[in-house]
Amino acid sequence: MLEAWHLPGLTGAPAEWMEGRTRTGKRFRAPVLSAAEAGSVADAVLQATLAARRERTVEQIVNEIARAAARLTEEGLDATTARELLRAELGWSEELSRETLEGMGRAWTVESLTRLVESEFSSFAVLDGFVTDPGWRGAGRRSRRAIGPPVVLQVLAGNVPGVAITATIRALLVRSGVLCKLPESEPGLLPLFARLLAEQDPILGRAVAATWWPGGSFPAIWREWTKWAGAAVVYGGEHTLESVRAALPPDTEIITYGPKTGVAVVLPDSPAGAATELARDICAYDQQGCVSPRLVYVVGESVLAFVLTLAAALEEHTGTNPPPDPSEEEAVAIRAVRTAFEFGGYEHGRTSVEAPGDALTWTILIGDDDSVRTESLPRVVWVRSSPSVTSLEDVLRPLEGRIQTLGYAGTDGLEKLAEVGTRLRVGRVAPFGSMAWPPPDWRHDGRNQLLPLVNWTDFEVPE
Amino acid sequence: MTTSAGSRAELIDALTAELIAAFEAWPGKGSSWSEAVLDEWAMRVFRLQIEGIPTYRRYCESRGVGPEDVRSWREVPPVPTAAFRVVDLIVGGPEAARLTFRTSGTTQGRSARGRHLVRAPELYRASLRPTFRAYVLQEDVQAKIVTLPPSFTYDSASSLGWMLDDLRTGLGAGDGLSVATASGIDWQALASEVQRSLDTGRPLCLLGTTVGFAEWVDRMERDGGSAVRLPEGSVAMDTGGAKGRAGLQRADVARGLVGWLGLSPDRVFNEFGMTELLSQRYAAGEPPLPLRGPPWLRTRVLDPATLDELPDGDVGILSHFDLANAASVCAVLTEDRGRIVGDGIEWIGRTAGAPPRGCSLATAELLEARQHA
Repeated sequence: MLEAWHLPGLTGAPAEWMEGRTRTGKRFRAPVLSAAEAGSVADAVLQATLAARRERTVEQIVNEIARAAARLTEEGLDATTARELLRAELGWSEELSRETLEGMGRAWTVESLTRLVESEFSSFAVLDGFVTDPGWRGAGRRSRRAIGPPVVLQVLAGNVPGVAITATIRALLVRSGVLCKLPESEPGLLPLFARLLAEQDPILGRAVAATWWPGGSFPAIWREWTKWAGAAVVYGGEHTLESVRAALPPDTEIITYGPKTGVAVVLPDSPAGAATELARDICAYDQQGCVSPRLVYVVGESVLAFVLTLAAALEEHTGTNPPPDPSEEEAVAIRAVRTAFEFGGYEHGRTSVEAPGDALTWTILIGDDDSVRTESLPRVVWVRSSPSVTSLEDVLRPLEGRIQTLGYAGTDGLEKLAEVGTRLRVGRVAPFGSMAWPPPDWRHDGRNQLLPLVNWTDFEVPE
Repeated sequence: MTTSAGSRAELIDALTAELIAAFEAWPGKGSSWSEAVLDEWAMRVFRLQIEGIPTYRRYCESRGVGPEDVRSWREVPPVPTAAFRVVDLIVGGPEAARLTFRTSGTTQGRSARGRHLVRAPELYRASLRPTFRAYVLQEDVQAKIVTLPPSFTYDSASSLGWMLDDLRTGLGAGDGLSVATASGIDWQALASEVQRSLDTGRPLCLLGTTVGFAEWVDRMERDGGSAVRLPEGSVAMDTGGAKGRAGLQRADVARGLVGWLGLSPDRVFNEFGMTELLSQRYAAGEPPLPLRGPPWLRTRVLDPATLDELPDGDVGILSHFDLANAASVCAVLTEDRGRIVGDGIEWIGRTAGAPPRGCSLATAELLEARQHA
């Protein structure tokens, strides 16, 4: 039984438990908290946050976070535990678990976190205290300081593993404490990280509380925690976002990360090896990420030629990095969409399917048939043709504001593609091979990562 | 050697006639066909199907299966039900169809309705009637058949409507009655039939959808009438399941019919059928209900990921082989979960749509959200 909770301030053994299961059937549990207990936890988080504000600089916080995070990725007992956790919760292979933790871990190093803070703020100093504003044109001087709310409520409903940690780190960097509702799909990794952080730095460890309760319900703990939260950060699908928004006090600031998709564009001069890089992006996180490519457009050249190389690359990648078995629902849905494309092709010749026989390890849907919609099924991509880069703008218009990453291979028409991406409000235009692994200071959903959390105080002093 | 369209039509018509004779010669439950007999039929029918349905031929060829490669009904490549939503699967093409049945689109919405074109209604009838007699209403019981759902007259795309109309007009004493109207069920007419049955002692055979019977039970509970005991030999048969209605359990409906109509539980039947199949299975009693059918309808339970056949008792995806589908495709891979129970199957339910995983956008979810907005 996996313990899916980290609750500082909870005294005594919990009297009642709630149990859940991940899609692999891995059982986990979390205590049922009364309103009073939930309040004690929130108070403990607040007190620890206030203590950290007094006793830690942001540079120290960065160092402690990076040390704790490194234990998840650098060889050792904790990293082994983390990989075993992902394997049990998600059915992932050792290779996929390692690749994901190492990939995410690259954003959790001292260098990466420093880069993130410095990209959004002038320096750490502005989060530690007032910093003179050199641009002030008024009389006297002005200094500025940025700080997050004392407590941030995080709701993780739909996300890839590790995102709970990333979200928590963002809050800690702006000196906020965290109350987190864990996702049923992967409830174990953040509590593990929080325990490691507590070992590393007891004050910071107590500034993070995380637990699970069934999605769609708003029990006593929710009602209590929402009273303490200065802001809510919500990851999830449309229905989750809607129901959480409705269940929050109306004055709570809410920052949402909704589902997004990735689109890959093969430019006419795409280099050999583009398909291999794209296959790696497709298979990362078992294609569960908002950055994961699902639609591929081949500009001005043979779709089939690219499909064949992509098929070979996917086959090779799944050979070394086998995906977990799809769920029964996913298996049925993959077969249904394959059938639609295959029989549709026999009927009208516009669609076809490339797949390893009846095995479901990967699927390439080929061709244009607007009557068929893609779902977020594992390792399923849809390859279509486009006569030009500019024509993609109209084709992709229905996805405006919903494309996290626009990937590319080649240079012919690249500038135009970036322009198209801008107009479609794409968060990032990046080469194949890096679609799934954005740099630490990327604009998540096209927005800053830290700035939306903070409040600025301007301190003006006349001469 | 391939066959010309004209001679293919003659062959399928001749084969249909042979199958009708074979179906009608079936003495009833307790009598099965050997694997060898079924395999022989499967080989003959499969050859005609891949010659007569170009899309099916290409489907089989892409899996390396040609007309000479099938030696058993188990080796016939099953067509996923999703194919019925995309193409017409009928020997001789759509112009050979004498009936067109549409699926209800319960799980995918009305826009994703599939269709099953039927070349030989008489083959459907030849499968339907003996099976119904074998499992539900013995020939010597002169029950009055009363059907609740809209007949084929009102919904000419409904295979269920056609089936019930055929049973009502073709079996029993031939004086069956439909209590369906253009706007729903005529509850007064239904109550009158029940009363007449009680008055005359003539058994009733009530055929309806699970949803329709649920409504009837609800009405009886709401109106607070008194329970009755239908005459000996009476039966009820429901079909169709909950059709997505929240909280509706087939077992509750069956218990309601037992309680209100005085039927014994083994006289309340459940029918399992699909628009894509022309044969049916039936069960009575307490769950898990082994749904039994005629010997020309067989079911395999497959691993959803690999399509390997699972051992008896394991839950997987149901894949049927139905010789009554001789003029379309016999082997149909469903989206239903179930398992083998004794000499029948247990239908567990339709697989839910795959929920989105992670933070990857499902296009359907986006479209739904935008329509909502």
